[in-house]
Amino acid sequence: MKQLTRGAWGEPGSSLACHTGSWRDLRPGHEHAAAPCHAACPAGEDPQYWLAAVQEGDHRRAWERLVAANPLPAITGRVCPHPCEQRCNRGHYDTAIGIHGIERFLGDAALAAGWDYPGIVGPPAGAPRVAVVGAGPAGISVAYHLLRHGLVPVVFEAAPEAGGLLRSAIPMTRLPRAVLDAELERVLACGIGLHTRQALGRDFSLDELRAEHAALFLAPGCARSRPWDVQGVIPAGTRDGLDLLKSWIDVGEVPAARRVVVHGGGNTAMDIARVMKRHGAEEVHLVTASGLPGPQTAPDDVLNIVPRELEEGLEEGIVIHPHATLSRVLLRGARIVGVELVALRKLERADGRRARVAFEGTERILQADLVIPCIGEQVDPAGLGALVQRSGFLRVDARGGVAGACDLYAGGDACGNIGTVAAAVGDGRRAANAIAARLAGAEPSERPRTEIGIERLNLNYFEPRPARRAAVLPVAERDDLCEIEGSLDAAAVADEAGRCFACGNCLACDNCWVLCPDAAVLKIADTASDGSRYVFDYDYCKGCGLCASECPSGFIAMRPEPE
Amino acid sequence: MDESPRQLIARQREAEPRYRGLESGHRACQGCGEALAARLVTEVAGGDVVVANATGCLEVFTTPWPQSAWRMPWMHSLFENAAAIASDIEAALRHQQRPTKVLAFGGDGGTFDIGFQALSGMLEREHDVLYVCYDNEAYMNTGIQRSSSTPHAAMTTTSPPGRERMGKRHLKKDLLSIIGAHHIPYAASASVAYPRDLQRKVRRALEISGPTFLLVHSPCPLGWGHGGERTIEVGRLAVQTGLFPLVEIERGAVTAVMPLRVPRPVSEYLALQGRFRHLFADEPRAREELEHLQALADHNIAVYGLLGGAPDALDADGADTVRRGGAVA
Repeated sequence: MKQLTRGAWGEPGSSLACHTGSWRDLRPGHEHAAAPCHAACPAGEDPQYWLAAVQEGDHRRAWERLVAANPLPAITGRVCPHPCEQRCNRGHYDTAIGIHGIERFLGDAALAAGWDYPGIVGPPAGAPRVAVVGAGPAGISVAYHLLRHGLVPVVFEAAPEAGGLLRSAIPMTRLPRAVLDAELERVLACGIGLHTRQALGRDFSLDELRAEHAALFLAPGCARSRPWDVQGVIPAGTRDGLDLLKSWIDVGEVPAARRVVVHGGGNTAMDIARVMKRHGAEEVHLVTASGLPGPQTAPDDVLNIVPRELEEGLEEGIVIHPHATLSRVLLRGARIVGVELVALRKLERADGRRARVAFEGTERILQADLVIPCIGEQVDPAGLGALVQRSGFLRVDARGGVAGACDLYAGGDACGNIGTVAAAVGDGRRAANAIAARLAGAEPSERPRTEIGIERLNLNYFEPRPARRAAVLPVAERDDLCEIEGSLDAAAVADEAGRCFACGNCLACDNCWVLCPDAAVLKIADTASDGSRYVFDYDYCKGCGLCASECPSGFIAMRPEPE
Repeated sequence: MDESPRQLIARQREAEPRYRGLESGHRACQGCGEALAARLVTEVAGGDVVVANATGCLEVFTTPWPQSAWRMPWMHSLFENAAAIASDIEAALRHQQRPTKVLAFGGDGGTFDIGFQALSGMLEREHDVLYVCYDNEAYMNTGIQRSSSTPHAAMTTTSPPGRERMGKRHLKKDLLSIIGAHHIPYAASASVAYPRDLQRKVRRALEISGPTFLLVHSPCPLGWGHGGERTIEVGRLAVQTGLFPLVEIERGAVTAVMPLRVPRPVSEYLALQGRFRHLFADEPRAREELEHLQALADHNIAVYGLLGGAPDALDADGADTVRRGGAVA
């Protein structure tokens, strides 16, 4: 080879000898923050994570990721109010991802295909047995997660079938019984021993269970309606909403009435209001102390009705009277002829506590021939004794432990939580983790990740895209059985999942790799330990932060260089 | 024997699924737009090329003796003669009947000003060369002196704002039109903020036999006075305001533009940069110059017809869209 003069040439790529990483004072790193949908999910699902698998077209893997937290997606996809959608960052951009439709699609796909629940191996011989009281969503969830931990769950249910409130209070128009039965059956078939028609306090006692099991999980639900009256008056024959719903579901009948007043602002109130309307009531009024959702209403003051159910109820002609209560019942003899409403607000009093204040002079009369109280439920104390607090609920810590008893755990509606199926599923999962940890003599490990806000995303890299929503049955075609909201097809599901911003996680979009001026981001063939396909070459990264600013999904964070 | 972390990452570097023309270890500033632009251009050009590089930042930060960050044949001679050197290399390769492509690289100083005569000659003689001008709008390497590419009203060390002037008195030279007037087959402007568009234009230019020209807007954190993490944001706003229109010119006629969906006000672009800080002072001259720059952007939008179409997947809002697993466009 010809020798060139000194200083006139250099070997190709010899700059690699210069480690420009020493210039850096900020170091980029992958940081898997919690997507808002994950932070908002009471069941502990990470929708962003399973939506990624949907985008890749792998429905089974998506479902497996989903059921790692929630074994009942076909059910929750239908009945959950989906706080994930309300918190979705995409909601600040165009329209939130329709997570519930995709969750439902995956749940239904698993029912159709019979995919095995992942992570369940038969418990080893002599594995500890854990008793579960109540086979509602919380009881089913804890049993399922106990199985995943290699423990043996034994479930006792007072009713003839599993399902709890899912079966007794949720109309078929929201949750077809075929779906409920199929999904419950599949979860139970994982190896959950179920004893039906076994009521606590009647067929067995807490002490008997405690003697035979390593731990107990109580999920009796709220079987009892709260006492209700109006200024001490209870019209003759009054039946509460839960009771009416139950007999409507069981027998298909409701009392005949022309003008109905439903008192309460929850899902039961809306469900029974809609049933009454469909069964011939000319007017159905829903009177609630809470407000309608909107900018004028504080988040803790909004009525607790699934948003799409509220919308459908309004479509069907339910009249809502927000921020009002019943101040008087108008009777002719024992027969009710109307109610008096009065406006009210939750206000802070001089002592700092919030109280409901009715405003004199706002009274008005509604004609009515039936009043249905739906002001909430409480725990049936049978067999629970002093565990039931004065509030009417059980009291537990953040992991479901009942105070003062290391082997007792509880969850679901009985703990007075926010009263959704997803919350009950979450209670079950957390308690199962706590039980498994205690039995193994360890500390439960669930490290919450920080939530990522929209300000951490780079929205330049996304385009507005119309949301895909399932068809809804027209009002005229709604009856007692047909499901009102339809299903999405696979194409719509792929499209909708493709709208996900992947908040806090790697989108594998190549931006960091394409935009690094120093070629210090390497794309690798296999998956890195953090799940991405990119690694930083800190020998050369100068710490400019370009990759972090241009990461669409906020997966890269700049942190001070360690000393 | 187990692989050390450094051996692992070196192996991963070698296994990368793309050609690296510009290697790590170069001495460009943090967030350098020009380093990024050169990396993107050489990635597409591949190894079967010869590059002639004018004096400037790119030459200095890539080749501190005895090292070189280039992995392709590359040579530097002087500030003014990159196009002349490239012409000669191309003539020699043609004589040898070798298909190797020739590229010439220069900054705006070496292109708009000092090497302009050599460039014009190269185009006129129809050499089969792609000339890439990395436009960072001033002589950054020597300490941020104004060039004929520096935009109107920008502050440089030789166009300081003060009692007499509000930054540079003159306008940015419309080099692309002058290049187009040489009647060459292809000339285009591009930006590091739109890497896919930039690389498409490089590919297009390299397919053509004959002189082609690419003007790449390359934000300079040091000279423009913005954080290195803002390089892409600044570049993107230059396009989205209309101050740096992305156009393609064939035989002197504009054949394609990157349309704007919603033009952003120039103040958004200017406010990110220290070189325009004096335009945000509370005084009439500052307000006048802001309006002047807005008028220049509006003029570009009108002249190149950047507005008026329906939303387009390849407009300035859509062209950088990503999805899981890569870019859309």
